[in-house]
Amino acid sequence: MFKAKPAKVGTAALSVTLALSVVSGCVPGSNKASQNSAPKASEAASKLTSLSYWSAFNPSAAATMKSYSEMEAYKEMERITGTKVEFQHPPQGATAEKEQFNLMLTSGSLPDVIEYNWNTYPGGPEKAIKDNRIIKLNDYIDKYAPNYKKAIASNPEWKKQVTTDDGSIIGFHFIRGDRSLQVFKGPIIRQDWLDKLGLKQPTTIDEWYTVLKAFKEKDPNGNGKADEIPLLLTLSELKNSHAFIGAYGVPNNFYREGNTVKYGPIEPNYKEFLTTMSKWYKEGLIDKDFAATDAKLLDAKVTGNQLGALIGNAGGGLGKYMTLMSPKDKNFKLAGVPYPVLKAGDKPLYGHLDAPVPGKSAAITTSNKNIVETVKWLDMGYSEQGHMLFNFGKEGVSYKLENGYPKYTDIITKNPEGMPMSQAMAKHNRATWDGIMVQDKRYSEQYQSQIPEQLESIKVWSLPTNEKEMPPVTPNKDESTRYAAVMTDINTYRDEMYNKFVMGAEPLENFDKYVKTLKSMGIDDAIKIQQAALERYNKR
Amino acid sequence: MAMMENELPVRNRAKSYEKESKLAFIIKDLNRNKFIYIMLLPVLAYYGIFHYGPMYGLQIAFKDFSPALGIWGSEWVGFQHFTEFFNGFYFWRLIKNTLLINIYELLFAFPAAIVLALLLNEIRSNMFKRVVQTISYLPHFISIVVVVGMMVDFLARDGLINQLLVMFGFESIAFLRQPEWFRFLFISSGIWQGIGWGSIIYLAAMATIDPTLYEAAKMDGAGRWKQTLHITLPGIMPTIVILLIMNMGSMLSVGSEKVLLMYNASTYSTADVISTYVYRKGILEASYSYTAAVGLFNSVISFILIVSANSISKRVSENKLW
Repeated sequence: MFKAKPAKVGTAALSVTLALSVVSGCVPGSNKASQNSAPKASEAASKLTSLSYWSAFNPSAAATMKSYSEMEAYKEMERITGTKVEFQHPPQGATAEKEQFNLMLTSGSLPDVIEYNWNTYPGGPEKAIKDNRIIKLNDYIDKYAPNYKKAIASNPEWKKQVTTDDGSIIGFHFIRGDRSLQVFKGPIIRQDWLDKLGLKQPTTIDEWYTVLKAFKEKDPNGNGKADEIPLLLTLSELKNSHAFIGAYGVPNNFYREGNTVKYGPIEPNYKEFLTTMSKWYKEGLIDKDFAATDAKLLDAKVTGNQLGALIGNAGGGLGKYMTLMSPKDKNFKLAGVPYPVLKAGDKPLYGHLDAPVPGKSAAITTSNKNIVETVKWLDMGYSEQGHMLFNFGKEGVSYKLENGYPKYTDIITKNPEGMPMSQAMAKHNRATWDGIMVQDKRYSEQYQSQIPEQLESIKVWSLPTNEKEMPPVTPNKDESTRYAAVMTDINTYRDEMYNKFVMGAEPLENFDKYVKTLKSMGIDDAIKIQQAALERYNKR
Repeated sequence: MAMMENELPVRNRAKSYEKESKLAFIIKDLNRNKFIYIMLLPVLAYYGIFHYGPMYGLQIAFKDFSPALGIWGSEWVGFQHFTEFFNGFYFWRLIKNTLLINIYELLFAFPAAIVLALLLNEIRSNMFKRVVQTISYLPHFISIVVVVGMMVDFLARDGLINQLLVMFGFESIAFLRQPEWFRFLFISSGIWQGIGWGSIIYLAAMATIDPTLYEAAKMDGAGRWKQTLHITLPGIMPTIVILLIMNMGSMLSVGSEKVLLMYNASTYSTADVISTYVYRKGILEASYSYTAAVGLFNSVISFILIVSANSISKRVSENKLW
């Protein structure tokens, strides 16, 4: 009784500290708009003078600024419209971002505009309207957003993907303006190792095996130690790019055959894929740490001259490593290679292909008091002026028009401060990641051509037709609870079992048992929900 | 203590006013001891605001919570979320992981502090004792984030521990990526961090043991070991039991902060506990009702555990929390 007291007080004190640390942990997220973007534009005297705007903060931008309001494109926007935007950025990282988004929406104190992938809102984008969080924009767009309206009307696929099943438009979407912009990821291999060993670029799974085996055994990095890691295939790249698994005709998720939805991880082909992977793992061809490799570790492996092949982005992977390594090692050379197939001469079926409308959009919340003005402001991004601004920055500063072609200036391409191009770009525009605009392919032509291998790799990665890829469908309100409940556990189970099968902790004979477990967890329901969602999508 | 003695006559006087109504007595008491009660206010406020207030929201465990309708307006669904959790695929794994971490903590971390206190008690040199004590409780002041950060650095593939292992000809181990290492690392780092701090309360309890008992034991020919066994241990037994009962209450609630910082998808099989599951489901997927149900279940079990531990202890050892 008496003795218990100090301990109890201790617990209480601890809880207080914990509570406080939770609270204070949130504070950096609610970044106040930086004060140093001198607001000179008050003379423009627009009705909309300020706007609070929640958006994820891209790492390239974060490297040089505290908030998007320091970006040249937004500074220029402020000058033109007289609207001062107060950006709120969540802490970086998908988890932190999601956490803050969910808490913000539940708390009910919302900024004027929220830029987010609303397809991932629990219950779907339509539910966000029903929850009284954001506003259905159809009528506003009809009346006040001529540029956006024109943009989405220009392409039936875009129109389909910006609209929900019920026909609502919930926000101003980021749109990839050309198919070449939808592909930016694929298998990358050490070309200099191939050359050294006298091998040609692998195209089939068997040729890959030969190459990886040679990487393992013939000491291509020439340090006399067998420390080469032939291939690193992380779980997230397996999901995003379908590399290797695509050769077997299935992805690691839902796909469609004609108009029938199927789930890759329960198909017999998936077992074949697992068999190959576990064989490769056993022979040391796949990185031992594949199950938990983060970006930092990956960088260390590539720059440490250890890794033979990986799945990566053209700019942020191949380009980055070439730039990093060229001063250290003249021979270092990476090449993007085609997505592997099973039989020589086959056309790769599956590769990486981002949707033309990936899902991120700026929605207007119910807390917004100036809806019409905000709609007009957001519509700017789709006007000629806004388009150039967000894709290329300010004319004469970050680009110059040459025969109607916006050419990036040296500030971007040969940054005097020595910044990598992605960071230099981020200081001026949002073209390298996303934005409330139609992304211009002329950006990528210049960005990717900095290193010829980048351009080349995008060409070979664009070969797959990806016709089995699911379009961005969303479960409706009634389905979403069930879908979320089923899929959380299924995703965890699938990923764990993938690791176990590949590492050999679970023998492949148990594949049928694994399929059975997935069925008992309700995968069939999830397939049905996806099927219904696909049918609704087709009817849009 | 002096204060309490002063109060004694007051209490006795109160007894003689038995005819006076209870209310009047309370008012009088409040008046007399108002500063003590004022000092109590922040504590009451803390519990009211952070512990009892939120209980209003507990009802969403039985509702289909939607932010648009609010807590009160959401629709009742009964025990749906509970059955969903019980039938969930990972139910038993979560229970098992949560309980195992606690049982290991009870087996290793709990006695560790007692052992350290007993050992410190035997040290003659006051100087040395103080140095040991200070060093051993310093880690308590390092935040969990930093502790885990240190672990990540030490245990990384190219970290200190692995470099030592390789130097001595062993294979390097990906400690933080292998499920079988998780519990060991969790518990041992916990011991490192908490042992010194935990021993303080036992040392305090030992200080209250009547020295004449030791003298008597010495007369009877008991050595240091026997003295420890027959005097020191029984002397601190009430403290041990009280702390044990309190530990039982938190059996199902492992500090999620540390697990969250330490685990990753490849160690879920041993590291995922109820509180981290609640975090992932509730905050990241916004299934608030479901997680409220899981949390409530957790609290009910903890409540049952603490009550039964208390009553068992009451019967067996006559030590009790209430």
